Amino acid sequence: MSNSEEGALAGVRILDLSDERNIYGAKLLADLGADVVRPEIPIGDPLRKRGPTAKDGTSLWHLFFASNRRFIALDMTSTADVEKLQELGNRADIVLTQDSGFGNHFDIQVARKANNKLIIVDTTSFGREGPWANFKAPDLIAGALAGAVATTGDKDTPPLKTFGELNFIVSGTYCAIAALSALHETRHSGEGQRVDVSVHECITSCLEQVLMWYWYHDRLTMADGPVMPRQGAVHWTGAYVVMQAKGGSIMVTPAPDLQAQLAWLVEEGVHEDLLDPKYQEPENYPLLVMRLMGILRAWVAEQDVETLFEKAQARHMPYGWVLPMEKVGDNPQLNARHWWVPYRAGELETTGPGAPYHFSDTPWQMDESESFSISPQQIMNELGWEDRT
Amino acid sequence: MSRPMEGLKVLDFTHVLAGPFATRVLGDMGADVVKINSAERAAGANSPEHPYYIMWNRNKRSLALNMSDEAARDTCRALCEQADIVIDNFSVGILDRWGVGYEAVRVVNPGVIYMQMSGMGTGGPWSKYVTYAPTIHALSGLTHMTGVPGREDLGIGYSYNDHLAGLHGTYALLAALEARQRRGHGQHIDMSQFEVGANFLGPSLLDYRINDHAVRPAGNKPPYDAIAPHGCYPCLPQSDKPVVGERWIAIVCEDDEQWRTLVSIMGNPSWAGDEKWSSTQSRYEHLEELDRLIGQWTADKDASELMMTLQHAGVPAGLVQDGVDLAEKDPQLAGADFLKLIEDIDPEIGVTWADRLPIHFERTPCDTYNRVRQVGEDNTAILSDWLGMTKEEVQAGEESGKFT
Repeated sequence: MSNSEEGALAGVRILDLSDERNIYGAKLLADLGADVVRPEIPIGDPLRKRGPTAKDGTSLWHLFFASNRRFIALDMTSTADVEKLQELGNRADIVLTQDSGFGNHFDIQVARKANNKLIIVDTTSFGREGPWANFKAPDLIAGALAGAVATTGDKDTPPLKTFGELNFIVSGTYCAIAALSALHETRHSGEGQRVDVSVHECITSCLEQVLMWYWYHDRLTMADGPVMPRQGAVHWTGAYVVMQAKGGSIMVTPAPDLQAQLAWLVEEGVHEDLLDPKYQEPENYPLLVMRLMGILRAWVAEQDVETLFEKAQARHMPYGWVLPMEKVGDNPQLNARHWWVPYRAGELETTGPGAPYHFSDTPWQMDESESFSISPQQIMNELGWEDRT
Repeated sequence: MSRPMEGLKVLDFTHVLAGPFATRVLGDMGADVVKINSAERAAGANSPEHPYYIMWNRNKRSLALNMSDEAARDTCRALCEQADIVIDNFSVGILDRWGVGYEAVRVVNPGVIYMQMSGMGTGGPWSKYVTYAPTIHALSGLTHMTGVPGREDLGIGYSYNDHLAGLHGTYALLAALEARQRRGHGQHIDMSQFEVGANFLGPSLLDYRINDHAVRPAGNKPPYDAIAPHGCYPCLPQSDKPVVGERWIAIVCEDDEQWRTLVSIMGNPSWAGDEKWSSTQSRYEHLEELDRLIGQWTADKDASELMMTLQHAGVPAGLVQDGVDLAEKDPQLAGADFLKLIEDIDPEIGVTWADRLPIHFERTPCDTYNRVRQVGEDNTAILSDWLGMTKEEVQAGEESGKFT
């Protein structure tokens, strides 16, 4: 979003050298109004080829992840362009970099010497040291080594990768947090700093039960050792399960108010032996959950999925209809919240995913203007990044 | 050397995972996070003795406020006047009923940044729907898309969206702080955890809306781009225990060079000479068969050794690590001292641990990890620091039931 007057980050200058591991972080910053400049090689960023694509070949992956940027073509075989890259970084507030692509041509030490307020967010897959420091780790490998893949799938499937780039979305989000927390500190201290982010650590920090199970399994009644096996959509509590209903699947749970679920089953006359006093004993809680889920599974199988979802939510029970892409893509809640926003790339005009948050005074925006490459000779003038050092 | 967010006052009404994770990150970076709880609410996952609470509430101070008591609500309003950030993840409207909704607080504290991270956001036909992460996964398409063809009962094996809603909450708060620095006043942030989740399917939603193409789950096969192999393959098991005793390795070949290297390491098997394995596109089109052949080769291999062999040759590969691997064997996490014993041992809870903030600030490192506090353990310190109350005043409030 160039020269925004409205976004929360208006006026913040960012050089975006990110690859797939941190491009989502650059997106978060750009979508809130920072002036984010993204260089690409003269033949175009390889990420512009990522699927899915539109009929004219436009990468929808790139359209989403590289939103609100200003793109410049820089040829790293040209000394003049290498100098321009360096100069852009020297004059930025924040540089997002890593150990690949343009990151290999940008000298962090030179930039920090030129600009003592500069913040460098340097992303690596596994940190800068250690036996795995040079490992190659696309999303599946990163997720496998960080513990995410082992949690997903079922006993009769291989361990599964989560859909899309969810692992790199974690690291990207941490990169954006790193950039803004460092900027906050710099506003007070007057000094910039380097911040290192390891994708591996980021993913491991977001695995809910995995480390809890390892550290505290002796305090968890449902735990049978330090590792919870992959078990489909069954939550670690055992109280969230995807079940088959008529017309689709639904995530069913008696949490957080098990008594309300019991009362519902009693109303429906399908509670079987659930009122047996033995189930009220605290030590029999896992038994109760298991029995309850078994009864629910048989009952849910006879219900229409949409009706069941609406009935459950009317009772303030957090059931979730398992929606396929077409029902997410035309969802009444997203439509009512005016979530979809215009996207434009060349001749392509559409509406697509909007903001994950709504600021009352500094709105998230999608810039619809053309924002393809700026010619190298125009870089400094067009960007207008005066020397702040 | 201070941490980056020191001096920031955060009033934290959040519970369960998403909200507490947002404030955990702020606390790790030095913010004074005051977690509001009460003796009445401290049950189950809201109890400081529950492992779930222990995981997400380190580096915070604990204040007990009995919000059914009008005097306690007065204290709460006074705290809101002092806060830089007020954050909750209750259903919409609860803080309004307590008299500390955004419109009330902004009048007395125009600098406040006030975040409500509800399941569905304010407004819309589903705004009052109750959600936990598995609900959001289901409704946002994440459950449907993470699986294998023909099954909808898989999905993500942990509460991904809770963590990410938390991180997006942290990020949005930091952005609002930057805006306040420039504009001089705070603002309200309405965060919908459903919209956070739907956002993660961005390219696929564009694909649906532009191409009318609804992508379907495909296991470990990339849904759009021809990359092959791209899967998890069985190795020698580490024990005969079902599932957790299994060993798997993930292998990816992003180009033909990596494929040729893999074939060489496999010993150039005769099947690999077939024309159908000669191009990425052809391998991708026959991925199911390729997965079976590679799986036959990996089945008698040690996964860790195979990973090292492949990575040293330039082929992306990774052991499918579980919690024991992460905590006891992972050399990168060990080298970074990522998993830490918290030195201050709680007399009630015993020993606790922390996974470090994965952000390493060179000049303002975040190396302080304080244990989870019992409900109201910091009443005196917080009410003195924020409101200038005396020890005797706090004690009187505790005895009257206000601060319990």
